[in-house]
Amino acid sequence: MTRDELNAYRLVKEANEIQAGAHTRRHFLKESAMGLGALAMGALFGGCSFGAKGNNPVLYDAAHPLLPKSPPFLGKAKSVIYLHMAGAPSQLELFDFKPELMKMDGQDCPPSLLAGKKFAFITGVPKMLGPQAKFAQHGQSRAWVSDNMPHFSTMTDEVSFLKAVTTDQFNHAPAQLLMHTGSARLGRPSIGSWATYGLGTENQNLPGFVVLTSGGSFPDAGKSIWGSGFLPSVYQGVQCRSEGDPVLFIKDPHGMSRDLRKASIDAINASNLEEYATYNDPEIQSRVAQYEMAYRMQISAPEVMDINNEPQYIHDMYGTQPGKACFANNVLLARKLVEKGVRFVQLFDWGWDAHGDGPANSLNIGLKNKCRSTDKPITALLLDLKQRGMLEDTLVVWGGEFGRTPMMENRNGVQNPYNGRDHHTEAFTMWMAGGGIKKGYTHGETDEIGYSALSGKVDPFDIQATILNQLGFDHEQFTFPFQGRPFRLTDVAGKVIRDIVA
Amino acid sequence: MILLTIPEFIGRFHPILVHLPIGILLLGCLFQLLTINPKFVFLRDSIPVICLFGALAAVFSSGSGYLLSESGDYDGDLVDLHFWMGISVSIIAVLLYLMYRKGVKELFLNLTSAGLVILITLTGHYGGSLTHGSDYMTAALKGESSKVAIPPVADVQKAIAYTHLVQPLLQNRCYSCHGSEKQKGKLRMDNISFMLKGGEDGSSLIPGRANESELIKRMLLPITNDDHMPPKEKPQLTAEEIQLLQWWINEGATADKKVADLKQTAEIKPVLMSFQTGAAVTKKKVVSDIPEEEVGKADPAAIEQLKKAGVVVIPVLSNSNYLSASFVTAKADPEVLKLLDALKKQLIWVNLSNSSITDQGMADVAKLQNLRRINLSHTAVTDKGLALLKGLPKLQVINLVGTKVTSPGIIAQLKGLKELQHLYLYQTGVEQKDQAKLKSSFNKVSLDFGNYTLPFLAQDTTEVK
Repeated sequence: MTRDELNAYRLVKEANEIQAGAHTRRHFLKESAMGLGALAMGALFGGCSFGAKGNNPVLYDAAHPLLPKSPPFLGKAKSVIYLHMAGAPSQLELFDFKPELMKMDGQDCPPSLLAGKKFAFITGVPKMLGPQAKFAQHGQSRAWVSDNMPHFSTMTDEVSFLKAVTTDQFNHAPAQLLMHTGSARLGRPSIGSWATYGLGTENQNLPGFVVLTSGGSFPDAGKSIWGSGFLPSVYQGVQCRSEGDPVLFIKDPHGMSRDLRKASIDAINASNLEEYATYNDPEIQSRVAQYEMAYRMQISAPEVMDINNEPQYIHDMYGTQPGKACFANNVLLARKLVEKGVRFVQLFDWGWDAHGDGPANSLNIGLKNKCRSTDKPITALLLDLKQRGMLEDTLVVWGGEFGRTPMMENRNGVQNPYNGRDHHTEAFTMWMAGGGIKKGYTHGETDEIGYSALSGKVDPFDIQATILNQLGFDHEQFTFPFQGRPFRLTDVAGKVIRDIVA
Repeated sequence: MILLTIPEFIGRFHPILVHLPIGILLLGCLFQLLTINPKFVFLRDSIPVICLFGALAAVFSSGSGYLLSESGDYDGDLVDLHFWMGISVSIIAVLLYLMYRKGVKELFLNLTSAGLVILITLTGHYGGSLTHGSDYMTAALKGESSKVAIPPVADVQKAIAYTHLVQPLLQNRCYSCHGSEKQKGKLRMDNISFMLKGGEDGSSLIPGRANESELIKRMLLPITNDDHMPPKEKPQLTAEEIQLLQWWINEGATADKKVADLKQTAEIKPVLMSFQTGAAVTKKKVVSDIPEEEVGKADPAAIEQLKKAGVVVIPVLSNSNYLSASFVTAKADPEVLKLLDALKKQLIWVNLSNSSITDQGMADVAKLQNLRRINLSHTAVTDKGLALLKGLPKLQVINLVGTKVTSPGIIAQLKGLKELQHLYLYQTGVEQKDQAKLKSSFNKVSLDFGNYTLPFLAQDTTEVK
């Protein structure tokens, strides 16, 4: 073989390989008659639902994945602000008043509460620990709130308390995953992703699902709790910051003008669209859409995310600290984002894990400080949404991933140096407000020491079902086809908590 | 387990199988009676074989019927009656066949056939009564439509809650499957004690705790759920009827107390009133979020044009022709607002918050005759623009936060809106001294003047050490 022949051979071989590489399943089906027949059969049988009832996946338009869509039912809520207190706040120091527990303070825990139970840290026989706060009843609803939340205690007539939430995960990361994705294992889409997948978002210049964190650390489950799982990646939460640039690298670099930016994005998109013409992969269209949104966000995001433009009385009300990263700033941002048509705003505030192993993790110091940093902003959020006429169609959810034990934690059998409680799965408190939720209502009750649920027991699936219900979805019908079966946020469980729906 | 349920499974074929002997035997008897006329004598040869098949079918359906009755869902005199009549039909059918084989006189054959026709008719009727309820036929004659489950009472406060309201409701919606004749799931509901006893899944009634009672839980399940009651193909209870049941259970599920003697919340009063004679007319109109009357599809070209201008126009729920429009990323320029005209029947929610709409632009909004909710917050709209909302009688929610509207303007322009529910007036031209007057002018509307403040507490800015 001469050199030229070898070169020609190599060229032909390379060309063949490239062509073979481009020969996807799609082309194969398209070009083979058998494939067409199979496709036709698939289409015929596609209409049959084998036992699965009413699985109508939401229509997904890859080129415009975030365009607003209508819910199948009339939802009361248009947007959601979910305030997650990562680490699990103690219900016994905030909302679940147990005078009987006070009487048992310092006594050994009765064996009946320990037999057959597993705890994250408690070993042997711990002591009981009475409420470490003063409680009083508030508002017309006479709901109990402790003196840890003096501002929020004025809002009891606006919210529905869930006093008997349970979970089956006693470690932070799995419990957070369960609460937000419907599974204690990784890989499922979060509630915010489901919401934006089902409803899109009103403002195409901003992400539909925004995540804001505070407290100095990420939640234990990491970014998976705002991930999109098997949903198209465009539905994952976009993490924004309340300090510095709202989104990293949102400013054009020095020397790059807006026009040049536009030209380069247009060039990237043109080449992506060429790829799309060859492969027809919908993810390419999503990519194009995301580049375009990123470009628009460069203008709109800094404006919306700048809390400095807010008047002083709003800063006073929320207790914000402009320029710093803090929960109050995030809460104010959440209101601004929802006002601009963002569908789902997820706040995580870290540092509620009051074990008693140090001052910052104690009920008498750390928990009180967490309350001080969140009490006023949350109250201000509810009042501000109300006076703007937004509380009607904005659902606000507050809660942790589990609760805390009525026993004092004795890590490895040794009493902790500060007052603290271990992780507890059998009863804790959450609340919801606005978005078609009953006002001034309490659902569920716990036993006299707050150990387990007596009535009105709900679990994370019930909470997810209720959130979807308020957005206009039947959680049993709202599915996404993946790995050959329709998937739901609530998997095979969940009941809408009708008692708290107005 | 499976072996145990096979008889019940076969039993459930009974409602299908019964149609065979009815059809076949009636045909045989009809042929026999026709042969009285010599013109039809040629039918004579076919009758014995018809009778044989009819008799066999009758035996099989009696057998399956017996298995069904053993399943425990059925009980009572009617079942016994139907049971013995079914057996009789089978015996007489077999006898009739044997008579043909023996070749008895035509007169006997005619008489037996006529008798069998009557017996089959009656058996069939009782069987039907078991399935559909004994008043299934007569209800239609009496002109009772299945739409009203509770016959209106003259004075609801004097009525006995159970006897006059709850029982008729249960009778019309539940007894046909859970009554004296039939007890699906072993549940009988024609008496409070039976309901307390409950069925296979335990008690169906917990006095004082309506939402934990199986009875209510089942009714509140989505209709697509298999456990939903009544079954989805049967007439359903209305929201008021369920509220009545919840109230009755929460008040102790009493048998003989009058409505007036039970505690009545503000919520239940209008519900109770709706069961009173003539209430249909005076019944408080339920204001729904979307109009009940149908509307045609909006012009897709007009929607497309609005979308091009950045306006978000989508149906309020999928499968509805009613639309919502949001200007959150659009300019409310005159030429854009003009486009709304094509959607004037369909648009029910419009969000113009923070938009550039002016009093002139409000003229286009004023054409949206079905408008329910409008958000004009942080716009340049004044009392003049408000005047244009006067002609929109369906308005329920008006958000005027951050506009220059004033108290006299609001009273003059919005007073006539009968369905108004919420009026948001934070940061408007309304002064503190006007608030009382506004409240008295709009006593049925929830007014929000905002301006909430939170006290400064030392602990907001300090830390516990």
